[in-house]
Amino acid sequence: MSRTGVFICHCGTNIAAVVDIAKVVEKAKSMPNVVYVEDNKYTCSEPGQQAIKDAIVKHKLDRIVIGSCSPRMHEPTFRKMLASTEINPYMLEIANLREQCSWVHTDREKATDKAIDLVRMAVAKVAKNHALFTSSIPVTKRALVVGGGIAGIQAALDIADAGYPVTLVEREPSLGGKMVMLDKTFPTMDCSACICTPKMVDAGQHPNITVMTSCEVEKVSGYIGNFEVTIRQKATYVDHSVCTGCGICELKCPSKVTSEFEQGMAQRRAIYKPFPQAVPAKPVIDAANCRKLNGKAKCGICQTQCPQGCINFEDEDKLITNTYGAIVIATGYELIDWKSIYGEYGGGQYPDVINGLQFERLVNASGPTEGHILRPSDGKEPKSVVIVKCVGSRDPNKGKGYCSRACCMYAAKHAHQVLEKIDNAQCYVFYIDVRTAGKAYEEFYTRTLEDGAIYVRGRVSKIYEEDGKLICKGEDTLSGQTVSVAADMVVLETAMVPAAGVEKVATLMTISRDNDNWLQEAHPKLRPVETHTAGVFLAGVCQGPKDIPDTVAQASASAAKVCGIFSKAELQTNPMISKVDIEKCSGCGDCAGICPYKAISMQDMEFIEHGKKITRRVSTVNSGLCQGCGACVAGCRPGAIDLLGFTNAQILEEVDALCL
Amino acid sequence: MSDIQQELRKTARELLESGEVGYIIGWGKGRFANQTHPIFVKDPAKVDELVWDDYCLSTLAKYTQDDKYPEKKIGICVRGCDSRAVNRLIQDHQLKREDVYLIGIPCSGKLDPETNEPAKKCVECAHRNPVVYDVLLGSPVEEVPQPERFKEVEELEAMTPDERYNYWADVYDKCIRCYACRNVCPACNCRECYTDQYRVGWQGKQNNRAENQIFGITRAYHVGDRCIECGECQRVCPMGLPLMKLNRKMLKDINNLFGAYEAGLDTETKPALGHYETNDVEEFM
Repeated sequence: MSRTGVFICHCGTNIAAVVDIAKVVEKAKSMPNVVYVEDNKYTCSEPGQQAIKDAIVKHKLDRIVIGSCSPRMHEPTFRKMLASTEINPYMLEIANLREQCSWVHTDREKATDKAIDLVRMAVAKVAKNHALFTSSIPVTKRALVVGGGIAGIQAALDIADAGYPVTLVEREPSLGGKMVMLDKTFPTMDCSACICTPKMVDAGQHPNITVMTSCEVEKVSGYIGNFEVTIRQKATYVDHSVCTGCGICELKCPSKVTSEFEQGMAQRRAIYKPFPQAVPAKPVIDAANCRKLNGKAKCGICQTQCPQGCINFEDEDKLITNTYGAIVIATGYELIDWKSIYGEYGGGQYPDVINGLQFERLVNASGPTEGHILRPSDGKEPKSVVIVKCVGSRDPNKGKGYCSRACCMYAAKHAHQVLEKIDNAQCYVFYIDVRTAGKAYEEFYTRTLEDGAIYVRGRVSKIYEEDGKLICKGEDTLSGQTVSVAADMVVLETAMVPAAGVEKVATLMTISRDNDNWLQEAHPKLRPVETHTAGVFLAGVCQGPKDIPDTVAQASASAAKVCGIFSKAELQTNPMISKVDIEKCSGCGDCAGICPYKAISMQDMEFIEHGKKITRRVSTVNSGLCQGCGACVAGCRPGAIDLLGFTNAQILEEVDALCL
Repeated sequence: MSDIQQELRKTARELLESGEVGYIIGWGKGRFANQTHPIFVKDPAKVDELVWDDYCLSTLAKYTQDDKYPEKKIGICVRGCDSRAVNRLIQDHQLKREDVYLIGIPCSGKLDPETNEPAKKCVECAHRNPVVYDVLLGSPVEEVPQPERFKEVEELEAMTPDERYNYWADVYDKCIRCYACRNVCPACNCRECYTDQYRVGWQGKQNNRAENQIFGITRAYHVGDRCIECGECQRVCPMGLPLMKLNRKMLKDINNLFGAYEAGLDTETKPALGHYETNDVEEFM
């Protein structure tokens, strides 16, 4: 017979206010195998834990049930506590009386009944618990950072500074991401390039960092401590080991293409560096637009002009495989394609209706207009500028339901820049709310108002052209009047959306995504940079919209997590994983096909059957890869797989305890 | 038909005499003219016991499971249904292609010995020609399209939940849990069926409505995407239960969720429920 102890936590008033604790304690005393019950104000506190430890000794308990908050909150706490007792840390069940009971119910009587049921189920389950033991796996102390924007750069630098080698993968030809496109950064108005490019150079020159630009992650297998990653190095047609970055090729290239970096407002060549401060400062050939590579002409001028002879038109994609102990995802964002959803703003037919990133390039000294704010249509200086916030954000009907968080501040920055750079300028900002939660943000916004920006509370309903002016119609919801502003230029502060291709990255690493495709952190509060795949961390906007300070902070946080893993010689595996009964396994392999973590493989094993030596296919589980999701258990027809810690027998006991 | 029977016997004799196969699984005559049963012919002198007539109803591939590690190849007569069963077993890694020699026989359907009308499972057959074979006897027959594949399921779906419950309650009140449906089914190939295991908490051995229904529904799920629609379960059921309705309900849902799907047409197409694509429907997520 097992000796179960039950500990019911009040959680202050979190549970006790809704659940009648005394009644739960009373009922628990008569549950099967229960030899001791007690309640506690805060079971997770030091005295609460000590009380459990004392009870284990005094009442010779061999397993315990704790009725408290969600196991996602304190199961690790209590397991750790049990590790210092005679009881195995897995002889523990938690009845979730808070998140699944007191927090979601108001009727005291019914909530108490439910709490009793939850405890009864946990008591029934714990009777079938078995001691589980962790095993250890070695760690490869090398990190992979996916995405070379400020988040990826910061994470890579922090990990590299801690002394571990890092590979920084970026699909574009240069590091820098979106930050390097920006002109100034709010609220201090320091030059974005001036603070970003030194970091890019640091990353490029760091002895512990291998920068791989024009590269994409192709395949990921393995598990925390030992991810096997295949990276596709896209053909650049320029041998970067020889190239000195002199730039002659760029000058001589005859095909001109719209520049992505300049947001379509300038041109580049087919052999190009995205921008002068690019890292690496070496060009690549854009095969689709190169006359020689796309077969439109013989050309090859760059090859004849290159003093180093580093142009190689026969270059091909290469696959490079390496092992990494941890991965940081920093794939960032792009701006929502407003043109396809906001027909009322012209849907892109007016060249002077631009987005925030285009404005950043216009106002940037190294941009297409050398920092003069000029209209893309005729190059004239706009005297009246309208800024529209929340284009695609906070608009669940047409765009996204969420707030993109940075736009309020950069809209204020843009207004400030318009008023600063253009004499006698008028700047109107249409807004829903002004959200300035950040250090010195509100002060910055106030300053913009003092500069003379006119904030109008309301959405712009329509933009159309009349007599060379862009008429912006909207409602000032504070006065209730319709407003019509004749603007020379309109800046739409558009929503951030996850970078294209994030689905592929998420699938490769089996990270979940939320409804808007942002990568899902393991816990919104307590595990904000972890994912549900152990060893994979998130940094920056790929996890949700945020500004530069938050991005950098999160990048450093994920780097700290990576360094935490690397600081140990070996990792402990989670013992709550699938286990195959090879006697029952018929070797059909369905489990291997449905395992989302690629943790199951089929193996030929030798058996003696009816006196005859035979080779039979059976399923085996990789304890490092298995995350204990249980998909294989549900899929296995003969019931040959069981999930340790959640065995079929345990779940059945719970069901019986509830229903019988 | 007798031509094919002659050819079958000739082929069987050659295969046995040459030692290519250890034995041949085919049909032999029963006590009555309207009966056949599966036979295993090992001796070339006995090949004349093999018959091919209107009553060769049994699907044969499952019999390979009694000899999973054969010393020589097993010769099997395969019609459309048998050949799909072979594919199914190969795909489940319960049979190796190199362990069998498939004698393909196109089939125009068999007769129900009780009524002498075309057998229900043959009327509903969508693949009369073997989809895999080593030798083909006779020439291929014309396939009959089955636009009403899911008609019976639709009738069930049109019922109210209460009507449907009563319908299945009536059905499973009759079930005697003989497991003939399982034994004959080429999709049922577990080493130890869950119904035979001790202390499976969710499946009692009692013969009553609740346990019978759990058995029925669990079997339908276990067969699910593996059902080749040979109709053998329903044919062999001594209580005449409409088991294919359950199997086809599963298949109809699979077709709706994952696109057109038929099991056992080849060994490459992955079973619909045995793998996932990242763009699978996730209506419950």
